[in-house]
Amino acid sequence: MQRLLYLIQKEFRQIRRVKAYIGIIFVMPFVQLLILGFAITIDVKNLPLVIVDEDHSSASRRMIEAFSKTDLFDYKGVAPSSKNVVELLDENKVRVAIIIPIHFERDLKKGKKPLVQVLVDGVDGNSAGIAMAYVNQTAMLLQKDWLKGYSGEQMKAKLIEIVPRMWYNPNLESKYNIVPGILAVLITMITAFLTAMNLVREKEIGTLEQLMVTPIKSWEMILGKILPFLVIAIMLLIVGVFAAGIVFNIWVKGSYLLLFVMTIVFSMSTLGLGIFASTMANTQQQAMFIAYFFSIFALLLSGFFIPIENMPSWVQTITYLNPLRYFIVIIREIYLKGSGFIHLWKEALAMAVFGGVMIILASLRLRKRL
Amino acid sequence: MSENSYTVEVHNLTKKFGSFIAVDNISFSVQKGEIFGFLGANGAGKTTAIRMLCGLLLPTSGEATVAGFDVYKKSEKIKSNIGYMSQKFSLYEDLTVRENIQFYGGIYGLTRKEIAQKTDDLLHYLNLWEQADQLTSALPLGWKQRMALSVALLHDPQIIFLDEPTSGVDPISRRNFWKLIYQLSGEGKTVFVTTHYMDEAEYCDRVSIMQEGKIVELDTPKGLKSHYKAKNMQQVFLNVVNGESK
Amino acid sequence: MNRILLSIMRKEFIHIIRDPQTLVIAILMPVMMLFLYGYAINLEMKQIDVGIADLSATPQSRQIVERLASNDFFNITIINPDYKDYEKLFKYRKMRSLLIIPVDYAKKIELNNKVQLQLLIDASDPNAANYINNYFSAVIFEETIGINHRKINLYSVEPRILYNPDMRSANFFIPGLIAVILILVSALLTSIAVVREKENGTMEQLMVSPVHPYQIIIGKVLPYTLLGYINGVMILAMGSLIFDVPIVGSLLLINFMMLIYVLCGMSFGLLISTITDSQQIALMATLMITMLPTVLLSGFIFPIKSMPDLFQYISYVIPATYFLEIIRGIILKGNGISELYQQTLILSGITIFLLSLSIKKFKTNLQL
Repeated sequence: MQRLLYLIQKEFRQIRRVKAYIGIIFVMPFVQLLILGFAITIDVKNLPLVIVDEDHSSASRRMIEAFSKTDLFDYKGVAPSSKNVVELLDENKVRVAIIIPIHFERDLKKGKKPLVQVLVDGVDGNSAGIAMAYVNQTAMLLQKDWLKGYSGEQMKAKLIEIVPRMWYNPNLESKYNIVPGILAVLITMITAFLTAMNLVREKEIGTLEQLMVTPIKSWEMILGKILPFLVIAIMLLIVGVFAAGIVFNIWVKGSYLLLFVMTIVFSMSTLGLGIFASTMANTQQQAMFIAYFFSIFALLLSGFFIPIENMPSWVQTITYLNPLRYFIVIIREIYLKGSGFIHLWKEALAMAVFGGVMIILASLRLRKRL
Repeated sequence: MSENSYTVEVHNLTKKFGSFIAVDNISFSVQKGEIFGFLGANGAGKTTAIRMLCGLLLPTSGEATVAGFDVYKKSEKIKSNIGYMSQKFSLYEDLTVRENIQFYGGIYGLTRKEIAQKTDDLLHYLNLWEQADQLTSALPLGWKQRMALSVALLHDPQIIFLDEPTSGVDPISRRNFWKLIYQLSGEGKTVFVTTHYMDEAEYCDRVSIMQEGKIVELDTPKGLKSHYKAKNMQQVFLNVVNGESK
Repeated sequence: MNRILLSIMRKEFIHIIRDPQTLVIAILMPVMMLFLYGYAINLEMKQIDVGIADLSATPQSRQIVERLASNDFFNITIINPDYKDYEKLFKYRKMRSLLIIPVDYAKKIELNNKVQLQLLIDASDPNAANYINNYFSAVIFEETIGINHRKINLYSVEPRILYNPDMRSANFFIPGLIAVILILVSALLTSIAVVREKENGTMEQLMVSPVHPYQIIIGKVLPYTLLGYINGVMILAMGSLIFDVPIVGSLLLINFMMLIYVLCGMSFGLLISTITDSQQIALMATLMITMLPTVLLSGFIFPIKSMPDLFQYISYVIPATYFLEIIRGIILKGNGISELYQQTLILSGITIFLLSLSIKKFKTNLQL
């Protein structure tokens, strides 16, 4: 036990001497949140839109008005002809074009059901899908409006309306989804990278060999490495929570205690992973490379910005081996819904098992032999 | 002599890495208080042999005991009884001199009082009072080397393994370093040292010369010199390596 | 050809083959990223878990349930009408959304001609929430038309999705991946290749030999250009063969553009290598400066137009922004040079700027 204390003391003394750690703990969370929080906007907006109005009627003007006043589209004005529109799409000048046919209003009144064409640049399938859905919805609302004026049967028309209520994020802002995720990613990257680099550095300069010939126990060595970095992870989380609050005005809705306990459980697996990576590498450069590869995988398959349900089932199966997958769920649920332990125990259990296995594996690999 | 006077005993020790035989069937024993030298070119197997004795590497076959403990089963016991200094510099450069001593003292299970005592002794002995709170990286290499040795001796081990302790150190520092080794041997400690400086070999009580994993010669420097009719160890070594007849 | 140049290039090729790290960067990383992005990244949603609480339990309400159930987008669970703790369903993540059909649904629709259905959505993932809302609206609108016997369907909207009619994510990501991987591989490899020689001291050795700086640079850049270019072709071929990405435009033009872009990455790597002294720092700096902006800010995943203004300005100095428009334009839209000359000019401009800057820096660096 005494040996452990000396190990931890040594680690903190070393950490204190490296100026970069201060930057990592206190500046990184702000920088990451600022860059990622603003750049990762899953909400689609400002898609350039043109409308071809071949009718020039009050109905067509009404339609133009309906489409031009939304955030989703950046209305660029009317285009002279549909031939022109295709050119604009080709040149990437616009992404959506709506063509209102000639005699639109007349046909509408006569009940001849005119056809409105919508051209969407499908290169970015996601944006295209959202644009299509929005076009359909707006078209629908217009129909309902016009029922009164044009159908003459409005008294008999039966209307079913949907009243959506968006829970936890009423304005559908993606920052609520992204910001807690960034905190999780930050903790993953920092803890895994720092431990891997730290151990490999001892290997490079030869102090690890020196430690191995001392009567110190394997578990003391592992714990002596893990505990100091656990403290760093927690400090990082504290700074991160404040940064998220200050920059984005997003605060934890649920229990802070639960969040911290879960972070500790999660950090076990990333710290274990870092140690594991360090046993495979001989130079800091290699360690960084290995840790980097792991983190790309962990990030993409975590549900951070690509929902896991959308992935093919074999990829989904792989994600169960990703501890970040569980932590992303936990941190989001605690942050946004204020969920308690009873709602999250399965994820917590999976993380704990993963962390335990990781640390056991790391201890086995980091035996006191070369 | 009682059998206890041998502190290191090795019989047919072998280490293979895949198909490469790093240490090939070596046998020897080292007496208490002896300065035992391991000579050989780079890659002759010196470091591998020393690492097996320290419990850092598991031998492939053969037997060895260090301080009476078996290297296969009791490697952790061995570790409490030996001091080790590798060819790489093994102190934390980003800790101060004092912090390094405190750390290693703590790792070897010394009490707080003992650590304080040892720190004072060592700083006095190494004449590092002024530098005690400086970062170790600021010390000249010769100083670091002596400090590394002193730190490896904090727990008062009976056997000390030194793996090329003086490589890259200037001649005056080397001489100072060997003074320290003599002093230890005088205190009854066994010193096991590898080197490729032939002048250092002269200082050893007995010298073994390794080549391609095998021990090809084992005798006192005096015995070896008369055997090869050489005037110094340099010549002995060249004769052995070039395979010239005895 | 110049014999000195040839021997430098030969040496460089030997480095490439012997160094596992280079091979990993050059081959394993691109293939891995291709598979990850090709298979795992899919922003299209389907099989969303939704619940329906049919409090009305009438033939009219059941008709809505059936209509929803027949839609592939939803994975429907019927909630017991007595169950009221809806929030619990969200907290346990049993479902993402819940439609509540009121008790008096049938009565209201007959008497008042108007009825409201409440739709609760877990909006912690706003993208999904949006999708769900839109899908529900569309289905309910169909139902509205249905019960009015189609009389209220005044006009119809005919969508035409151009260039990527099935809205496949792979068609979007794989051309984009060429942009990400090429800049990464080319910048990483050159920066490491130069810094390694500095670290090992072999750069000094080269300098005291009668070699011109331009020979060192060209001798280094050419092999890695070739490697980067092969990489691009490899991704293009795999994308087309494995992921069925259609290539509409000219292959010749694609190849030409890839060469410019690779050269751009190389110049950047060269610039990094003149500033840094250790492989580790070079690696870190290159990763940070190329990887993050290229993935996040170039329009590779997230549309530039949706970002805050500041980030939009940053995206204008990222070479990948222009290359992405070029490569997607050629591959998916069949664009020719007449539509892409602007982007091509800017990209070439950036390349020339970086190249001359790095050669200038490299020269002064060598004379030290």
